[in-house]
Amino acid sequence: MPSVPLHLPGANSSTLPAPNPLPTLLQTPSGLALLELQGTIHAPTAEESVPSADKSLAEIGKLVFPLYSELTGQEDTKWMKRVYLYVGKHQRMTGEVKKLGKPLGVLARRKAEDDGEELEILEVVRYKIVFSSRPEPVGGEVDGAA
Amino acid sequence: MATQDDSGIPFSVVHDQQQFRLVELPPEILALIDSPNAPILSIKSQAPPTASTASSSKPAYAVLCTPTQTYQLRQVQTSNSVFATKCVLTSHGDSMPVPGVSAIATCPTTLELHPVTGTAIPYLKDALPLYDLVDDEMVDAAGNGKSKLKVFSDVPLSDAQCEWGWRELIAFEFAGSSFRPSAVTLLKLWKSINVAALAEGIDLNKQFLTEDLLKAIDDEGYPVDLFHALLLRLAADDHVGDATWTSMDRQITVPFVGRTLLASEPSNQDLHTAIFIESWKDNLPELWRDDAKLDTIKGLYILPTSTTISIKGGDDEGSGEGSKGAGSASRKWHERFARARRR
Repeated sequence: MPSVPLHLPGANSSTLPAPNPLPTLLQTPSGLALLELQGTIHAPTAEESVPSADKSLAEIGKLVFPLYSELTGQEDTKWMKRVYLYVGKHQRMTGEVKKLGKPLGVLARRKAEDDGEELEILEVVRYKIVFSSRPEPVGGEVDGAA
Repeated sequence: MATQDDSGIPFSVVHDQQQFRLVELPPEILALIDSPNAPILSIKSQAPPTASTASSSKPAYAVLCTPTQTYQLRQVQTSNSVFATKCVLTSHGDSMPVPGVSAIATCPTTLELHPVTGTAIPYLKDALPLYDLVDDEMVDAAGNGKSKLKVFSDVPLSDAQCEWGWRELIAFEFAGSSFRPSAVTLLKLWKSINVAALAEGIDLNKQFLTEDLLKAIDDEGYPVDLFHALLLRLAADDHVGDATWTSMDRQITVPFVGRTLLASEPSNQDLHTAIFIESWKDNLPELWRDDAKLDTIKGLYILPTSTTISIKGGDDEGSGEGSKGAGSASRKWHERFARARRR
């Protein structure tokens, strides 16, 4: 079958996503966002993972928007220039929020009713968080874990 | 609902990573997404050239089609890791769950979309067997067993582009297959229509009941869908989409008859221009006779000598001059020509 249907995101927000902690600009209806970094994340496997409530994921660290506050106006985009990703407690990557030249569709497979292959654009994303530099060592002062 | 404090947003990675792809969205597709009834798009690939049943052989390239537009897909890899993240609630022990962000999928490739402005005609010509009437009998028209829809799904272009090519070729469905008529067949059908219209007093230039004309040529055994396809091709714009009433567009019909006449001539014989024009006039409704001028089929013919005429694109000759413009049109007639020669 050489033709595969591609569904566009509809206005059906039947399932409410979890509360979105990201700056408003990065929020999308489905809660999907894009994060790009140089290199790879070597996440601990499920067995190695620190005991946490959720066994399905590995905690990496914290995402911090140091210049952002909820009171920041829409037109003020200075906060976009700086984002930190703390990896563990001793490494930090510095990045920024970038507006995409062309909005990106997040494309995923979806099972068709007749078991055929179908594709779906889950979300349209207009910004991404980019960490283009290597991680740098930091002290343990930003230990956010309560 | 941004609830960020100094401690930051917990970031995690889901063990069971999905794989997404990213696709660049041009403004036209964004507009479709924002429209109240977003259509379903399709990703098409040309059927593998070897007509094998093995679907494993990967097609050379794929296209994304909206109802009216076509984009070629080009895959771009990035050396960076791109994650799609979603919002999660993370909790530690007994503490209150905190909204966090979790990477759920990697997006190793981005698809670029490049608009394609191709014509469906070459694809349709490959897919549609020629329906050819010789001595009033159908010759060698083994069907392809494919409906119009099936044929379209194999053409790597949008439905609107396919529909345009289908109409241009006067393609039609018949006995469970799809065909395109030969120039000889079209000429015969046109002659029948012209004669019948005269006999029945149907003015092709004015609005007439499609059914009346169909009845008038009914006993000649043309496929009904071919009749409708030809009418649609020649119809004045205000009748497209309404099959009950038709009127023919003089500006379309006159050149069509001239072109078809020329294309149905055997290529190896000299056709005198004066004879051709006379024959062209004779095959037009009385009122339109004077419209038969070479100007109206400009670019579609060549004059091998000062007194003879031939359809363009038949052979090497004439490829130098007039190679500009109407490129697809000349290709279009090439095959018919070649086929006429074989006979």
